[in-house]
Amino acid sequence: MKPVFPYPTLLGDVGCEVVSVSIDGKPLPYTNVSATERVVALHQSGRAGWEEATLNVRATLPESELSDGPWQDVICLATLTEKATNARTTARLRPASDGSRTGSIILSRALHLRRATLSLLVIATVNSVAGRLVGSAEQDWYVDLQEATPVRQREIDIVEIDFRDGPHDGLRPYKESSWIIETSGDMPIVYLNTTAVEGLMEVLGSRGGNPTEKVLREMAASQVAQDAWTAMFHTAISDLDTDEDGTPVMPTGWRESVLRQMLPDVLPGRQLTDALYEINERRTKGFGWSELQTGIQYAAGRRAQISKKLATAVRTIDRTERNTD
Amino acid sequence: MPRAVPFDVPPVLGLLPDAVVAKHLSRGMQSGQENPPQAALRKASTPLPDDEIRWRTAPIRELLDVAMTRFDDNPTAADGWLAPRLHATLRMTRAEAGDGRLWNHLAMLVAPDYVAWRHKRAEIAQSSRFSGPHYTQCFSRLWWVAELFRDGPDYRPVEVACSVQDILNTTLRLDVIDHRPTAQALLAVFKSLISSGVPRPGDHVNAVSSAVNAAGSTLVYDVLAPDNPPLVEDLQDWIADVAEAPAVHWDRLPEGPNDGRVPRTAIDVLVSFFEKLLVEAPVRRRGRVSTPEDVGDSPQQSAVPAPREGVSLAKDLPSWMT
Repeated sequence: MKPVFPYPTLLGDVGCEVVSVSIDGKPLPYTNVSATERVVALHQSGRAGWEEATLNVRATLPESELSDGPWQDVICLATLTEKATNARTTARLRPASDGSRTGSIILSRALHLRRATLSLLVIATVNSVAGRLVGSAEQDWYVDLQEATPVRQREIDIVEIDFRDGPHDGLRPYKESSWIIETSGDMPIVYLNTTAVEGLMEVLGSRGGNPTEKVLREMAASQVAQDAWTAMFHTAISDLDTDEDGTPVMPTGWRESVLRQMLPDVLPGRQLTDALYEINERRTKGFGWSELQTGIQYAAGRRAQISKKLATAVRTIDRTERNTD
Repeated sequence: MPRAVPFDVPPVLGLLPDAVVAKHLSRGMQSGQENPPQAALRKASTPLPDDEIRWRTAPIRELLDVAMTRFDDNPTAADGWLAPRLHATLRMTRAEAGDGRLWNHLAMLVAPDYVAWRHKRAEIAQSSRFSGPHYTQCFSRLWWVAELFRDGPDYRPVEVACSVQDILNTTLRLDVIDHRPTAQALLAVFKSLISSGVPRPGDHVNAVSSAVNAAGSTLVYDVLAPDNPPLVEDLQDWIADVAEAPAVHWDRLPEGPNDGRVPRTAIDVLVSFFEKLLVEAPVRRRGRVSTPEDVGDSPQQSAVPAPREGVSLAKDLPSWMT
């Protein structure tokens, strides 16, 4: 949602780029910085006991618009934040010779846990009010402290484990189940049971094989996916925070991306914030909760491509039968 | 006199995943009548290194027992006493405190009785007091209120922050207080508000907090009131000092890490701005009769409506589904 500002703000694009990173004074290989994904992976520095990382940042502002417009005392500020640790560090960027603005911001390891967000703000005096936010970089950068390779979208963890005799006690009650989904943590985990169905792991893990095997693999995978989407959606809406006036706040992390993807299918034709509000109402008041299940089931099925895979499966079997006739 | 703990407390803190809490947190524990299933919880948790004094549970347990004795007639008042002392006893970085599993372990294995004692309303303490966001969980809210509102080594602002529960319940959740001068300026405004003796200071706290937060979306406080970068090395020294430091004093405030005070000028700039907001901010009248302590403690409605009875799915399922 774009906020509305009661004063003139920048129209032109604000760009932000991490030019280089150094860890405890030594340069981090550039493979750990992904400009397309806008992610910096600090974890793979090979240095376990590092203390601080310096991010060298370059920003490009719509300079001609700035100089012609009603803005004075323009300041370009880089901020480094993380929800989990309530950390907030800022650094001012200074004009460089090539017209961009550059500077460095220090990420202290003691202040960050999983992933820090690097944002860029443009601040100016407008109508003699100082400190107004007049623009910001369209997309933030992420700095991962626990990720080996820079990936923007975190995927689901898939763990193959023996439910009955494996090391994970919590899974024992589900020993007859082929898979279960756990969504309570920072990342959803799909536990695949290596012992419930003999040969299932081989089918799921193999590539190629005969058409029937392929069909089986696809179907099993999409069923796992549907379960996962359903479970993730329910978890994401079950613990919504509300702000002071009771409006639900979009959660963070995977919960956010699940909601953003599924809400348009669960409650079609509604703005994201409205949909969130509606869902929270129904969940807390109980009204229309059961009707919602159809929408959730549909949205999860769509994500898991159930219909598409079923159609392929039916055709494959049809073809195999005709060939054997 | 510290009371006897009715269960076996693990000697060292550990990390306990959320899923395990969800599985083992019983109504009996929430009401303070049952002891935690120690064996299962210990098995599921990862202990922290026991050669580090700061992870020992005995000093924390002692503090909690003293708090329960001193404030037995008014558990809410224990927050202001405990927050700085817990922060100075359980010394760690924000990175370490950001791991919710540590707080789960403390609440489930070390002091479930304290959680129930402090947060029990009507029948039970909410499960989010055992495992929940940093501003809700029984112990993490105290540690974080001390961390976010201390002025370098000075814990006095923390006592102010704990004197009105709305500061813990509302202000602590806001992102704007991650900027230290903003946090200190808010407290300065709250302090004069409280000492002026207005009725229901909590309502004004909520109004100012929400006005400051709203104004923060168009005004960048970091620019209006620049802060100094934190002195991380001094913080690390203070954490390491815990090995030699004596146990915190029960009657005098402890000293926090000497990692830099908040610049006075920065606070002053914001105080005068926030005072203007205080005059303009609309104060919401509370409809129901309540003491400020109750707010945020009221039980939330059950999340999912209970299934209706008398309908069995099994018999109606078509044969291919069973």
